[in-house]
Amino acid sequence: MISHLDRKLWRDLSRLRGQAVAVALVMACGLAMMIMARSLIFSLESTRQEYYEANRFADVFVQLKRAPNSVATRIAELPGVATVQPGLSVLVTLDLQGLDEPASGSVRSLPDFEPPQLNRLFLRSGRWLSPGSRGEVLVSEAFAEANSLVPGDRIAMLLNGKRQQLQIAGLVLSPEIIFESRPGAALPDNRTYGTFWMPYKELARAFDLDGGFNQLALTLAPGAAERPVISEIDHLLTPYGGRGAFGRADHPSHIRVSDEIRVLETISVGFPLVFLSVAAFMINAVLSRLLALQREQIAILKAFGFTNRQIVVHYLKFAFVMVTGGTMLGAIGGVFLGHRLVLMYHRFFRFPELAFHPNRTAFPLALLVCIAAAFIGVFGAVRRAAKLPPAEAMRPEPPANYRPALIERTGIGHFLSHTFRIAVRNIERRPAQALFTVAGLALATGILIVPNCFRDGVAEILDFQWDIIQRQDVGVGLVEPSSVQVQHLLQHLPGAVRVEPFRQAFVRISYGRQRRQLGIQGLPANSLHNRVLDEHSHPIQLPAQGLVVSAKLADVLGAHLGDLLTVEVLEGKRLTQTVPLVGLAEDFAGMAAYMDMHAVNRLLGEGDVITGANFRIDPARRGEFLRALKQIPRINWVAIKESLRENFRQTTAASIGLIQIIYMVFAIVVAFGVVYNNARISLAERARELATLRVIGFSRREVGTVLVTELVILALLAVPFGLLIGTGFAKAILRAVNTETVRLPLILTTSNYSFAVLVVAVASTVSALVVLRMLNHLDLIGALKAPE
Amino acid sequence: MTETIAPAEPATPVFRVRGLTKVYGLGTAEVHALAGVDLDLYAGELIVLLGPSGSGKTTLLNNLGGLDVPTAGELLYKGLDLTVADESELTRFRRDTVGFIFQFYNLIPSLTARENVGLITEIAADPLPPETALQMVNLGERLDHFPAQLSGGEQQRVAIARAIAKRPQVLLCDEPTGALDVRTGIVVLEAIQRVNQELGSLTVIITHNAVMADMADRVVYFSDGRVHHVQVNTTRAPASSLRW
Repeated sequence: MISHLDRKLWRDLSRLRGQAVAVALVMACGLAMMIMARSLIFSLESTRQEYYEANRFADVFVQLKRAPNSVATRIAELPGVATVQPGLSVLVTLDLQGLDEPASGSVRSLPDFEPPQLNRLFLRSGRWLSPGSRGEVLVSEAFAEANSLVPGDRIAMLLNGKRQQLQIAGLVLSPEIIFESRPGAALPDNRTYGTFWMPYKELARAFDLDGGFNQLALTLAPGAAERPVISEIDHLLTPYGGRGAFGRADHPSHIRVSDEIRVLETISVGFPLVFLSVAAFMINAVLSRLLALQREQIAILKAFGFTNRQIVVHYLKFAFVMVTGGTMLGAIGGVFLGHRLVLMYHRFFRFPELAFHPNRTAFPLALLVCIAAAFIGVFGAVRRAAKLPPAEAMRPEPPANYRPALIERTGIGHFLSHTFRIAVRNIERRPAQALFTVAGLALATGILIVPNCFRDGVAEILDFQWDIIQRQDVGVGLVEPSSVQVQHLLQHLPGAVRVEPFRQAFVRISYGRQRRQLGIQGLPANSLHNRVLDEHSHPIQLPAQGLVVSAKLADVLGAHLGDLLTVEVLEGKRLTQTVPLVGLAEDFAGMAAYMDMHAVNRLLGEGDVITGANFRIDPARRGEFLRALKQIPRINWVAIKESLRENFRQTTAASIGLIQIIYMVFAIVVAFGVVYNNARISLAERARELATLRVIGFSRREVGTVLVTELVILALLAVPFGLLIGTGFAKAILRAVNTETVRLPLILTTSNYSFAVLVVAVASTVSALVVLRMLNHLDLIGALKAPE
Repeated sequence: MTETIAPAEPATPVFRVRGLTKVYGLGTAEVHALAGVDLDLYAGELIVLLGPSGSGKTTLLNNLGGLDVPTAGELLYKGLDLTVADESELTRFRRDTVGFIFQFYNLIPSLTARENVGLITEIAADPLPPETALQMVNLGERLDHFPAQLSGGEQQRVAIARAIAKRPQVLLCDEPTGALDVRTGIVVLEAIQRVNQELGSLTVIITHNAVMADMADRVVYFSDGRVHHVQVNTTRAPASSLRW
């Protein structure tokens, strides 16, 4: 049996359903975002963890030139090392039918007669390699899909300069390449780069590496620290051309998934916080209004003997109905969006199975957060009402105290119309309420800025940065460092308009306790192709000495301009030097270090050597150029700008686009919710006054003006703050989502700001129209009776 | 029984009311607030409507003032048929012709006394200056006080000033002294009487207070939604002489 007080609750609610729904919707937006993000974090983390455990993902990785297998045994005996998995990894050139450009890949060895100890594969389709087989290969699923390859197909590969036809036995996944991209490349291109697995014996024979290994992975013993083990390994492997061991934190695929999780963590906190604050403001406004209206009812309830507690609980229930509605909507929305976004992750991340796992703790957490927001929103108002002595509450509220508004006291009062005076005095009389309204509106305006910032950032990368940073059409990497003569050979490729060589070397850069391994790019001092730009998009001229690094890398290292960085070369003569940091480059993907090409060669202690070249080509002869490239055996990889851009468009940009749309919809919902709620409250509070104006002869339009003037003044106050707040949000969120793998530039355009203003303006207009329509149903006669 | 009594001199009535009916609700819930009212009201008259609660006084006043439209019957203001007037015609009628005074003053709390009156002068065709209107109700001072700073009687006098500032043809007062003590009530009635005399507005006052009948030209007694009878006073008592 429902109590009479609860029955009253339902009737009050149904009377205020427009506002209750607005509050619940705003709340639902925040919660949906939180539940979606927390569940995605949970899905990614738990799936990755299970995958790592089931397939024995290693803790430390190292690549080297070549070492005999006995060295692996010595490493296995190092303190802190649990299991060691040595193997081979070689770069190969592929010849794919139907693909103009050369493709490349990495072929890794699998033990001949047993499954590997570490980094085990997952068979997606087809079959494993038959023991002792020849001419068979396993292919990474991402590459196979991008090139429509299925088990049973044949693929041509240049193994150590010898062309071989291999049959695809199966398509596989590896915990090492959840995110697959060419080593050193900032962006993936699954069409032209793939990973393959062959039996150790066959691969070793083809490359004359029998009895040795050139890569090794290991797991640490429980409780063992990573750094000392890495130092030991580096020490042991230096004579064998070790390229520096690194832990999971430097593993490209691992970083990529961790970065995504970090982005989600930002989203799961920042956005819901803003949305729920807005919801708290709104609940407070709705409830304060209701309580003011029900002043006499409260007095009567108290006169009949209801306790303050019962009354407080009664009105809190009111808030909790909205909270429950918001939480349920938010949960449904969050789970739905989570399912959509998980599908999107399939484009980037290859897991045996990435299913959406709702994070169960997110739901009670969401409810709790919302209840807290509602509680903060209503408690003060409810307590004030409950504290009123019954006799006082039963008397109608005396006319409110007013005084001339600040703007009138400046002396321009004479020029103001009465409607304007009513509006400004109303605002000034309740500064707290006006402040809340302005704050809510400003937040709603602010969150409209962020999604378009994402969109504009992506557009900036795709349309602008890409072209001004990378002016080359094609980049080509050689199998090994070659003399400058090769450059002349490249120059004569058909269709090549301009060639610029580069020297890339694998190094470890450290500053203080921080270090990162990456490829250093040696470019001609005035590179026209691959340009290095500062934060104002001006080209940085590479000096004869010194290092220019990605601003993000300097940030990660904690280094500033002028600091001396230690650069350890991890190949060739393996020299170590300190080099001053002379410039910060704004780039959008990966982390890079740039140096003058001759300086790199000096750093390496080598003569004039190049490892690749960037080309500008004649678009009409593109096909001819690429086919010619395919015939050059020394070419290791080819990066075609348009392919990378297209890939970026379809993956990173598309996912950012999806998130942007979700945010935008939510932000618009909030903007409408806040404005509508505000207009409704204004109308309810002023019904009597407005009805009086109608009775004494004001037309609907004139009375509407009184109401709308106040809304417009508040909106005009809120919008500039909102734009400022939005700029702050955008900065904070972009800083948080900018990772070592992909970064968005902060682009604030007039059109972004205009759009935010436009949405608020449209929301205000629509809300005003709704309220003006309600004004037509104003009870004129009722207003003449005793005040409510 | 219903009867219509015209004043001594034959003239065209300002309001002509015939068979006026107002029904609220439907079916079994039907309430006949007005059950066939016949009445003529003339320019410059001061009319007092007396009758028990629910007898239809306020409904008649609302219909006369263009706040409500009747269900059936005839309601003419100087040839304007208020039964068929649309929303904007009613607004214009109220704006140009009618001054309202309510039991609870209904002032705009955010405007001062002067501004509450000034509000009307913004929309009326030939208004009195706010100061003059306030002077007429003996509120020459305290012009720049807000309603919250005024006593009940002062607030009601501001309301009267607001109603008369447009020089209304018709002044409709619904229990104008209902919320006031005797002394303040008499001050307010004096103001109404003065306006009636000086501006010549047809004035209709609803009250429960039979004493006020003495200040009227005619007293209309209401019961059960009809005019029960009309009493014509040969002399009007000044408001200042009333006591209750």
